[in-house]
Amino acid sequence: MMYTPEEKTVIYETAVKGMSGRAGLAAIRGGSAVRSLSEEEDGSVTQFLSALDKRGVFLVTFLSEDYPELLKFAADPPLILYGMGNRELLKMRKFCVVGSRITPPWAEKFGKALTEELASHFAIVTGLAEGGDSAAIAGALPSGNLISVLPCAVDMCYPASHAALKEKVAQRGLILSEYPMGTAATKWAFHARNRILAGLAEGVLVLSAGQKSGTLITAGRALDYGREVFALPYNVGIAQGEGCNALIKAGAYLVTEAADILSVYGIETEAKKEAETEGDESRVLQYLRERGETHVATIAGALGMQIFEAAAALSALEIKGLATKTGGNKYSAL
Amino acid sequence: MIAKIICYALSGLEGIPVEVEADVNKGVPSYDMVGLPDAAVKESKERVRSALKNSGLLFPMNRITINFAPADLKKEGAVFDLAIAVSLLKASEQLLGADVKDIVFLGELALTGDLRPINGLLPILISAKSHGYAKFIIPAENAEEARYLGGAEIYPAASLADVVRHLVGTQPIPPLETREFVPGQHKRSSADLKYVKGQPIARRALEIAVAGGHNMLMSGPPGTGKTMLARCLPTVMPDLTFEEALEITKIHSVACVLGEEGIVSERPFRTPHHTATTVSMCGGGNKIVHPGEISLAHGGVLFLDELPEYKRSTLEALRQPLEDGCITVSRAGGTFTYPARFMLCASMNPCPCGNYGSTDRTCTCTPSEIRRYRRKISGPLLDRIDLQVEVDNITYDELTSDEVNEDSASVQKRVNEARRIQRARFEGSDIHTNAEMGEKEIQEFCGLTREGDKILRDAFESMKLSARARARIIKVARTIADLDRSENILPKHVFEAVSYRLFDKL
Repeated sequence: MMYTPEEKTVIYETAVKGMSGRAGLAAIRGGSAVRSLSEEEDGSVTQFLSALDKRGVFLVTFLSEDYPELLKFAADPPLILYGMGNRELLKMRKFCVVGSRITPPWAEKFGKALTEELASHFAIVTGLAEGGDSAAIAGALPSGNLISVLPCAVDMCYPASHAALKEKVAQRGLILSEYPMGTAATKWAFHARNRILAGLAEGVLVLSAGQKSGTLITAGRALDYGREVFALPYNVGIAQGEGCNALIKAGAYLVTEAADILSVYGIETEAKKEAETEGDESRVLQYLRERGETHVATIAGALGMQIFEAAAALSALEIKGLATKTGGNKYSAL
Repeated sequence: MIAKIICYALSGLEGIPVEVEADVNKGVPSYDMVGLPDAAVKESKERVRSALKNSGLLFPMNRITINFAPADLKKEGAVFDLAIAVSLLKASEQLLGADVKDIVFLGELALTGDLRPINGLLPILISAKSHGYAKFIIPAENAEEARYLGGAEIYPAASLADVVRHLVGTQPIPPLETREFVPGQHKRSSADLKYVKGQPIARRALEIAVAGGHNMLMSGPPGTGKTMLARCLPTVMPDLTFEEALEITKIHSVACVLGEEGIVSERPFRTPHHTATTVSMCGGGNKIVHPGEISLAHGGVLFLDELPEYKRSTLEALRQPLEDGCITVSRAGGTFTYPARFMLCASMNPCPCGNYGSTDRTCTCTPSEIRRYRRKISGPLLDRIDLQVEVDNITYDELTSDEVNEDSASVQKRVNEARRIQRARFEGSDIHTNAEMGEKEIQEFCGLTREGDKILRDAFESMKLSARARARIIKVARTIADLDRSENILPKHVFEAVSYRLFDKL
């Protein structure tokens, strides 16, 4: 990995000497930071970089050619980013998909399908947590267009149970972090990380958010930076969707399919071909679409079927990806 | 003079004949026991001495030797009291003219000379009968237990004096009348499916589970009727046959949990608490090995409420008996095998707080808490639970109101029919139900149509099912087809079977 003299200066001042981001930014903008390093300083930077290189980690600085343009316009952009994986993704258009850790099963499935579609046009930016983040990762990982931004160093993992998932993302996509190697996640690091999520992306989709969810911070930052905010609508009274509904009320785009997002960015989509259904399956699907989340017994009663016939039809729909189990023997259409 | 009396000792569920020999000689009065008696047997000296005296008989003031044969078997418990007393009487010539040959004497003595009941009478009687003994004198309080065993002369005696009068012929005891076994004649449980409100899915799963002998897991928030549903399981299972009833009664008799009615006439329903130890579950003890909960549930249902709360090691210990239908426990006193063919029914909350997946209440658990909670149940154990079903968390009014609550008897009819089909299918093999099928039987009896195979393939891809889920789904589909009286497994059966899975994706 080759670094220009300017990049090396930034790396020396921030990563090696530990200059604060704000002071560094002022120095860069004022032009005073661009000075040539002494031989001794240059040596220490080279040593620092080769150590990172051995661990498969690269650095992107504010002055790098591929430093994401959009992030520069964030209020408080990180001067250097530690990266692991496919650096090319930084050049792609980026879109952020987030959700709280407790996301209803249907929203996870829907989010996964939606992200899959988005990933053919954008690199999907998200975190690494359970729930919404995991749904986004599951959707984007097969295409490899996935950037996970961590609230800890790239060699750490939070939550620890997702270490295997992190490895997969590093192999197929990209892991980013602003923290030096070995830094563990702290409470405030999540807020700081959220500004990078919002700053990287052209827009943010919120899959689920409670009243005080951290995903709302990401959405708020996105608004500050002038990015679009999208949200999934929820039934009234569902705690995990209160934040989403509040965003929509405040003017966020309401999303029920990928086209809702793609059309905002002028991307045309082909009409989706739906899996074929027949007989009982079609009747059940139609009923589900009319009534929303429904209990198996209610469906069976309304359509004059035996309970187990309705259950069989619902399984068929689930296998075809047209319906999903939402808990307590209830189903909803996708 | 020497007297020989036959008695029986218990080893596991088997009775072992023990010959009690008494020798009464002239000499300095003494009383010795040989032939590996344990403390309880040695203490019988005092019980026998008092019982003889208080029954108006003489305790011989001579040199007495009692021998137990075979000498290498450890003799335990108070079951030999009566035999020792009778052998002493015979040897001291107080039973002149009485024929004690080929009579088996069983019973513990009280100081007053009354006979006390013993544990494990039924297994002893059954073993002794098979050894060719046909006459028994037993404690009167054990009479009910012995009443169902035909083909033997059984004389229930209330006291030692009664026994003596019977033997010398002054007042013979009338032999016990054999009673016909009627399944369900002593019903203890009042559970019935008609009292279960709503829960159509769980009801259906319960029917399938019983029909195919599958184990089942119910997941649902607290207080939604999981336990009540489970209690209905024995009521829809096929009625006990006499042979099954005898086998269950044998186990319950050995474990001292047999009720006054003397025979188990309905399928057992055991609910060990989640603090149960592995030993209490599987059986154990330091000398005599007692049957554990899984053996007491033999022929019936073992219900484990709040499955993740049980100790992991205890749950893992269930795996082998679930497979083999019996448990072998080895202790210093010997190795014992108890039958343990039971249906496992377990219940659990979806998460530690119980509200995961509920629409009206918020779950306060973090995802990692939920994962930890569910991970307490190991994959191999889940492997053996074919049906996993969610229990509804909604009030009855929310469901369609024209729903009829079927009673257990009508469900049992369908179950019997499905079992009949299975008996015909597995005739000549040691398999009884669909759940016991192995890979070979699955290939032989569960041919899927091309369409059915495609469905499974699609299901695996879209639902990310684990490989072990395949056999499980096919077996359940086979049972559903049997309930439907369909020779082939049709697509609808496969679809329904797929809907009874919860944890394949974890």
